[in-house]
Amino acid sequence: MSTPLVVAATVVAVVLAALGGLSTALRRRIGTAHLAGTALLELLLLVQLGVAVAALARGDRPEDLPTFLAYLISVVLLPVAGVLWARSEPTRWAGTVLGVATLAVAVMLWRLLDLWEVTGG
Amino acid sequence: MADERGATGGGALGRPAREATSAAPGTTRGPGRVLVALYGVFALAAGARAAVQLSTQFDEAPLAYLLSAVAAVVYVIATIGLARGGRGGRRTAVVSCSIELAGVLVVGTLSLLDPAAFPDATVWSGYGQGYGYVPLLLPVLGLLWLRHQSRLAQAQGDGPDRTG
Repeated sequence: MSTPLVVAATVVAVVLAALGGLSTALRRRIGTAHLAGTALLELLLLVQLGVAVAALARGDRPEDLPTFLAYLISVVLLPVAGVLWARSEPTRWAGTVLGVATLAVAVMLWRLLDLWEVTGG
Repeated sequence: MADERGATGGGALGRPAREATSAAPGTTRGPGRVLVALYGVFALAAGARAAVQLSTQFDEAPLAYLLSAVAAVVYVIATIGLARGGRGGRRTAVVSCSIELAGVLVVGTLSLLDPAAFPDATVWSGYGQGYGYVPLLLPVLGLLWLRHQSRLAQAQGDGPDRTG
């Protein structure tokens, strides 16, 4: 797990949530800015997944490995689920739906970092 | 994602939204979709947590972990009820949201009065403190949304809701 990556992904996720909120406030659906932002977020999360898998392969183990793995996998799926669901929403609430998903990503990333820092023997 | 651009289009912030939120009933339209998304995230979070706790450390705090599992099941049922809509879906969602509200209030109060009974946190401990109090807020929003939806349905002759 890399803290700079988590910080970068959190910033992107929060900016995306703000953009989603803005779309809702402006009575618009989601647009290219949201799609590009989600693609960037997903890219960062995949790099993060790679870093974590490499560390696991080296033998580093968080104490609570099952929870760590559950978070690691769900966090990568969330932006995809969020964007698919937001795109099928015809009303202005599409942006808020995306925002819920990206804020959940931000929270989960920090929980992942916590889990990682408690390393088992 | 290039192939998705045509379907979304309308510039960086998206094309203007369709204004159908208040006219057509349906628990998954408009703000309802935000609720279903929130419920989905909590169903996932509580479910994953309960599965891990029950499978690896059940002996440490059986009561707390069983409560986590109950909370997870309630979130899943509420998510399905809200997502399905219609009279049946609404009724299911009302019942599960009520159980949730009762659960978060009772467990929240007990966990503050008698912390020893809850050695490990559940989603409902301290009124959902560990989850930004969202577990306390969700059932309230859910019940308000459902009341609004059933009024809309009644105003339209209590016909079947449009789902999806």
